[in-house]
Amino acid sequence: MEQTCKPLQKKWYDRVPPVLWVLGIIVVWFAIASRGHFFTISNFLNIAVQGSVLLVLSLGATCVILTEGIDLSLGSILTLGGVVAVLLMTRGVTPVLAMLAGVASGFFCGAITGLLIARGRLPPFIATLGMSGLGAGAAVVLTKASSVYADPAAFVFFGSGRLFGLLPMPIVVAALAFGAVYLILYHTPFGHYIFALGGNEVGAGLSGVNTAWWKLMTYFMAGGLGGVAGVLMAARLHAAEPTIGLRWEFDAIAATIIGGTSFEKGRGGIKGTVLGVLLLAVVRNGLNVIGIRPVYQALILGIVLIVAIIFDVVMKRRQEGL
Amino acid sequence: MSTAPLVRLLNITKTFPGVRALQNVSFDLFPGEVHVLLGENGAGKSTLMKVLAGAYMPDSGEIEIKGQKVRINSPAHAQQLGISTIYQEFNLVPYLNVAQNIYLGRYPRRKPPLGFMVDHQAMQDKSRQVLGSLNMDVDPTSIVADLGVAQQQMVEVAKALSIDAQVLIMDEPTATLTDREIDKLFAMIRRLRERGMGIVYISHRLNEVHEVGDRVTVLRDGQLVDTRSIRDLTIDQMVQMMVGREISDLFPRTYQCPGEEALRVENLTSARNGIKGIDLTVRRGEIVGLAGLVGSGRTELVRAIFGADPIDCGEVFVFGKRVTGSSPTQLVEQGVGLLPEDRKLTGLALKLSVAENIVMASLRRLFPRSVVDLNKERNVVDKYIRDLRIATPSQKRLTQFLSGGTQQKVVMAKWLATESRLLIFDEPTRGIDVGAKAEIHDFMDQLVAQGAAVLMVSSDLPEVLGMSDRVYVMHEGQVVGEFCREEARAERVIACAMGQAQAAPSVVSGSSASPGVAAAQPGQEA
Repeated sequence: MEQTCKPLQKKWYDRVPPVLWVLGIIVVWFAIASRGHFFTISNFLNIAVQGSVLLVLSLGATCVILTEGIDLSLGSILTLGGVVAVLLMTRGVTPVLAMLAGVASGFFCGAITGLLIARGRLPPFIATLGMSGLGAGAAVVLTKASSVYADPAAFVFFGSGRLFGLLPMPIVVAALAFGAVYLILYHTPFGHYIFALGGNEVGAGLSGVNTAWWKLMTYFMAGGLGGVAGVLMAARLHAAEPTIGLRWEFDAIAATIIGGTSFEKGRGGIKGTVLGVLLLAVVRNGLNVIGIRPVYQALILGIVLIVAIIFDVVMKRRQEGL
Repeated sequence: MSTAPLVRLLNITKTFPGVRALQNVSFDLFPGEVHVLLGENGAGKSTLMKVLAGAYMPDSGEIEIKGQKVRINSPAHAQQLGISTIYQEFNLVPYLNVAQNIYLGRYPRRKPPLGFMVDHQAMQDKSRQVLGSLNMDVDPTSIVADLGVAQQQMVEVAKALSIDAQVLIMDEPTATLTDREIDKLFAMIRRLRERGMGIVYISHRLNEVHEVGDRVTVLRDGQLVDTRSIRDLTIDQMVQMMVGREISDLFPRTYQCPGEEALRVENLTSARNGIKGIDLTVRRGEIVGLAGLVGSGRTELVRAIFGADPIDCGEVFVFGKRVTGSSPTQLVEQGVGLLPEDRKLTGLALKLSVAENIVMASLRRLFPRSVVDLNKERNVVDKYIRDLRIATPSQKRLTQFLSGGTQQKVVMAKWLATESRLLIFDEPTRGIDVGAKAEIHDFMDQLVAQGAAVLMVSSDLPEVLGMSDRVYVMHEGQVVGEFCREEARAERVIACAMGQAQAAPSVVSGSSASPGVAAAQPGQEA
């Protein structure tokens, strides 16, 4: 029985995702430094609400990165989704339909980048960079470069209402999106093909997987999630701004990477991404709560990101005994 | 064999722009047969098998599967026809588990209304069955990235069985396996053969052919040379069929008196790389072989010598100068060159041209004023292309398009251009065809004749014995034997490599030394 597969003997602390350590340390530190203002249920709900838009966007980013791709258009898609929904509402379209249209605009953009990448064989970096310009440009043109506002009840409820008077809607939406992507990623053939595209695209093709189609579908799905994130963001603000999504794609990519998903070989998953999003949300919130002036916040956030990623890399090397 | 053939390929022709890869090649395969496909790199073996596997469409010719004429238009179609291929580069997805890999592309679904979901339970149960029928104790839920190469190969075999393949194509399956794993693989191939499967076996290792094959087909330059029963052929005859000329000597050596000391290693130890107290010397005019099982620490040793890995204690001298703890850059300046084991990964820049690769390590020497003189570069590159008989259509050809043997020659040229006087070869001819192999050996001989020193790591025992002036044998991170050319016999070196003779070669008994008996060896190499 020499064939026996012996999994490496791992200690319990090797099973904890590295980002969780960083998150734990930061939470404890904020809890102490804020003298009790940070560590409250209402503040945690706050963090979750703040993180929910980013989580929806990052779920798509993670799937794309698992295929060894990248999507630089997610920020623009987010902007456009909000703009489409709000503009339609100002023209008198029913809120639900308008919101669905916002989401659909995201799916549409995703389908185009997907086509360019899967059928046109453009590098994802270039195709999504182009789409990023297109989406942002379209948002500017549609809004004539100024903010647009809408506050129908259903829209407001979607952004700041509470389900059963208890759970903030953004958290519900993010949880549903997570559930859906989780189901797709781990329980449908599509999800397995996402890992296969990143892990061994040629091999998957030779095993009979229609790789071009599933790659298109991945960008399609990521675009749709971007649309949902955009509508959610606009609903929270009761408004859509033509530059609101600027740089959000980088936050989504950062959350994915901090969460332990690798740019190579289809390694990682969306559970880590939740932690990555939480880390970003916790640091932003905590810096506010302990009263760090906004001018310093970007700087500190950048340092935290780098430390978290270094920690992740070091821990992985350790766990693999390299 | 009276039964009808499983596969019959008739007059297959396939051309690529500028190359006629196959010309009127015919091939057949019967149930319960292992049909070996031999040929040098570029002879058309892979192309022929890709035609059968549905990866290429032939320009002309016919394919019959079990008597039915077919057109195989995709890999998926080939699978439906019961043809499964195990490529050298596995078709496995590292971060999916074993079962998810076995059923990749045809996942079983749960019952409606959950028909969109993968039925993980059924998939794992069926995988366990298939793995069990192959006597493989691999857990279907283990992640493939955590498995060793041999186990990954078993997963590929299981994948083939799970689609009820009747034809299995194996492309150099033993290239990365240890001897013990190879024995296992052969046992499995025999079991598959008894089940009536037809197996096409592509290999460079001629000594395996008799052990595993029934018939052999030899290709040369895209043409069929012959199909024969293996029992009727000797290895020499097969070599002759492959190269079309007699290779008088695979191991051309002109021995001479070694000169001054080029490399001296004293008590070299690196706990994290598992090497302990290594002493060895290499002198000018000498080829010194480093034999041992895969995982015995040979690659780790040469990396430590070259300064690529940290060491705990010990000393390294190059041409009498202490270089312990130097970086690879400093060693290159001292005239040391390392030709790494994995030439595609670390030996070559595949996306760069032949010329760029050749001058890469010697730009500083050739152009001390930091301005590249293109004329001079062209002349230098030209000289090496001629000297080493590098088969490339031009200097500008990207190295990724060259055959393995030609690539290896480019790596050699790169180090020769640095005027290295101590060359460390790690598996210089692995995966290289016989013709190029002889040329590389010939060149190594010329090098030492001109006063260079060579340290050669090789798992190819005939190569070690045929080329070396002296042989060191490693076992579990230690040098356990040293043989001069006259004493170095296969059975002694093998026994020593398996740890059955400590240090003193003269006490080796002949009885314990057949190549296949690795059973006594606990699998230390992981």
